[in-house]
Amino acid sequence: MSIQKRIAIYGKGGIGKSSTASNVAAACADEGYTVMIIGCDPKSDSSITLLGGKRIPTILDLLHEEKDVKEEDVVFTGYNGVKCVEVGGPEPGIGCAGRGIIVAIQTLKKISKTLNEMDLIIYDVPGDIVCGGFVAPIRKGLVKEAYVLTSGEYMPLYAANNICRGLAKINTPLSGIICNSRSVSHEKEIVTKFASEIGTDLMAFIPKEQIVQDCERDGFSVMEKAPDSSIAQVYRDLAKAIMQRDTSVMPVALDDEHLRELTR
Amino acid sequence: MDKNITIIHPRPSSIVASLYTLRDLNVDVAVLHGPPGCSFKHARLLEEDGIHVVTTALDETGFVFGGHDALVNVLHKVNEMFKPKLIGVVGTCASMIIGEEMHEPVMEADLDVPVIEVEVHAGYRNNTKGVIIALESALDVGVIDKTEFERQRALLEEATNVELRHGAASREYLAPSRGDVKYKVAQRIIELLKEGKRGLVIMNAKKETGYMFADITVAINEVAEQLGKADNIVNMANIDEKLGLPRVRHHAECIANDLKEKGVVINENIGGLDEYPIAGNTVDQLIKDKYSNFDFAVISGVPHAIPMDHISNMELISVTNGPRQVLPLKEMGHEHVIVEIDLHPKTLGVNHIVESEFGATLREVAKESL
Ligand SMILES: Nc1ncnc2c1ncn2[C@@H]1O[C@H](COP(=O)(O)OP(=O)(O)OP(=O)(O)O)[C@@H](O)[C@H]1O
Ligand code: SF4
Ligand SMILES: [Mg+2]
Repeated sequence: MSIQKRIAIYGKGGIGKSSTASNVAAACADEGYTVMIIGCDPKSDSSITLLGGKRIPTILDLLHEEKDVKEEDVVFTGYNGVKCVEVGGPEPGIGCAGRGIIVAIQTLKKISKTLNEMDLIIYDVPGDIVCGGFVAPIRKGLVKEAYVLTSGEYMPLYAANNICRGLAKINTPLSGIICNSRSVSHEKEIVTKFASEIGTDLMAFIPKEQIVQDCERDGFSVMEKAPDSSIAQVYRDLAKAIMQRDTSVMPVALDDEHLRELTR
Repeated sequence: MDKNITIIHPRPSSIVASLYTLRDLNVDVAVLHGPPGCSFKHARLLEEDGIHVVTTALDETGFVFGGHDALVNVLHKVNEMFKPKLIGVVGTCASMIIGEEMHEPVMEADLDVPVIEVEVHAGYRNNTKGVIIALESALDVGVIDKTEFERQRALLEEATNVELRHGAASREYLAPSRGDVKYKVAQRIIELLKEGKRGLVIMNAKKETGYMFADITVAINEVAEQLGKADNIVNMANIDEKLGLPRVRHHAECIANDLKEKGVVINENIGGLDEYPIAGNTVDQLIKDKYSNFDFAVISGVPHAIPMDHISNMELISVTNGPRQVLPLKEMGHEHVIVEIDLHPKTLGVNHIVESEFGATLREVAKESL
């Protein structure tokens, strides 16, 4: 077995982390890799497009019911063998989702053998790192490298920059920037420049295409529903690039003024 | 002194302070909304005092999903079990950090009993904050009136200042100490009495701790009597029966009755049992006016609340129940500092004066030297 990759995809809320994560997971599976996707969002929407639109019981659901959680209760097989896990969490505004992630990750670590057999594990995290719980996968050593997803707009870049600062603070290497396009002008140049100034590379430029949302609505990834689309090829290339990537850096965040200048 | 120092020795928490306040407000049951082990030691002690302290016992699942249902259930349960007339619900770090709302479950439980909700956690620098939050809530429910509330608030502010000046909050770290040897200090008091020295016996006690500190006053008076020096002693104590919350007034009454029965005359009543933070000023004024030429003073309870202005030329013997209070008292200039260790638990659930270790020692030493 090759060296296991454990990555997390960070980025501003709503920028496209979950759809990118699931499409990359599917593309890697197509390439013959064993893949697990772990959704760390109380919304539990990371793996839904790999499971034909179906929701699976979450780790925290089962813990809430005071059940003795076993691997087969929480690890489900989706598209092309991708292992799907959802951490779950409380309803918005109740309890503590951050603590939830910590507890769920500890549980998963304890009960899952599959975890160690994977070529790639993707952690799909919610947009904003609001408390310590949201970096538990990193702190507990389950994430080895991070990718940051952004568009060329100012606010997503601002968030991406902040995330880079945070990653450096908790000693987590950055392996690359991924651009999920929002069709703004000079977008590719802006994000390429941002990536290089942070100290890394642009891994992919994913165009904004209606088909992503159409597939999602039907409960599928692009890879499954529209494998011949041009965007499917982009995800495929990104998947290969991630699997081959062997460099990462401690990112150096830009100062605010510089960042603003970049997007002008 | 620097008010912004971080104090690294643990001190009683605001949660515990709230619990004791609820007890003084005569609640029958206090519900801790939080982890099963929170404040367990004090919870146990308070049961001695006739109040039931229970917990919603939030576990890991409770932290993640909240404890709304757990609180509703426990409220129903205690209402059935104990038929309370007044209930308190107290927050903890765990429930407050996850943003638990206590009012909703209390409304949902819909009991015919008034409930005092105390949104408190253990993270406040001064634990008097826990008392204030409890009193505010009691005011809202109508358990106390505005006048009493304001009076309490002023006292608590002073209590905080006393601790900052010379108490447990005065230093970054205070090592606990057992204080001076009681036997030696007892001998010294007897010596002073025999020499015909004049002494002040001052009890400035915090609430129920007076049940034991009063015994020191009694013992000194007994020994002075035996030595024929009763006239050389002047007693001061904060046992005004008309001041404070009902429970505190009741303690003052019980202690005053016992003192009377034992033939001890309190020459100067220096305030209510909850006025220990301010009674020191009364004492200071009295000494300045009437007793400045006394030779020694035995000060029990919260001795560090008595200003040094007019006692610094006397030989000072103080009795505290706080092992961390020894060092500050020595630094203030108290020659002898003794600690009544574990005093508090012995003064819960009683309504008569209880024997102190120092009182007992003094009585024994006196027997030998007569
Ligand atoms: N390249 C794209 N083209 C078109 N739509 C896209 C693209 N990428 C993502 N989307 C759409 O954007 C929406 C948000 O995406 P997604 O849920 O993946 O974001 P997210 O970053 O995971 O959000 P959150 O921070 O809330 O978890 C979805 O409806 C998704 O289908
Ligand atoms: S940390 Fe807070 S909630 Fe936990 S036991 Fe201590 S006081 Fe209670
Ligand atoms: Mg998402």
